[in-house]
Amino acid sequence: MSKYMAFPEVVFKDRDLLIGALEEIGCKDIRQGKDLEMGRYYSEQLEQKAEIVIPRGTIGNHYGDIGFARTESGDYRPVMDDLDRSRALSGQFIPKLRAAYNERVVAKVATKLRGTVHRTVEGGVVKIKVRY
Amino acid sequence: MPEINFTIDPQTGEMEMKVEGVQGPQCADIAKIVTELLGVPEHEENTKEFYARPSVKPQVQNKKKV
Repeated sequence: MSKYMAFPEVVFKDRDLLIGALEEIGCKDIRQGKDLEMGRYYSEQLEQKAEIVIPRGTIGNHYGDIGFARTESGDYRPVMDDLDRSRALSGQFIPKLRAAYNERVVAKVATKLRGTVHRTVEGGVVKIKVRY
Repeated sequence: MPEINFTIDPQTGEMEMKVEGVQGPQCADIAKIVTELLGVPEHEENTKEFYARPSVKPQVQNKKKV
């Protein structure tokens, strides 16, 4: 059954870093605004509003839009169709987005501390050292 | 020189952070910067360095009585 689901365990606090991360993982068409309505392509998809919307069909999300709704605390939480969870970016949408977002967090921290960044990849794991 | 080591697992997107070379609760300031961008961590642990206090040698001056 197709329905929109929120991912309460996934939080993005910085809008600019989130947009940058979305662009990095291949989201070319990003709609931004306030209370944007996510498309309802199936009867089971209930009304959803979001601040950031990736339109259906852009990164393997065949069943619906992918949205980022703002919570009362100002965080952005993803909302997507449960069937797209295993299809968007071959099921890697959330992990890739988190990794891209986290790399941006590290870069911002390094800038704030006026530190130097040394990045390596060891055994598929990204290691970043910030010295300040 | 203080350093922060970040580890990002591309399979899950999860990140770990370890602050080294900073004694005392100063590393909490670093954690605050990161928390503002990432949110509250799932797990947090203070290292031995957190509990260490910078050693300050007492300065003793000999005063001459006049």
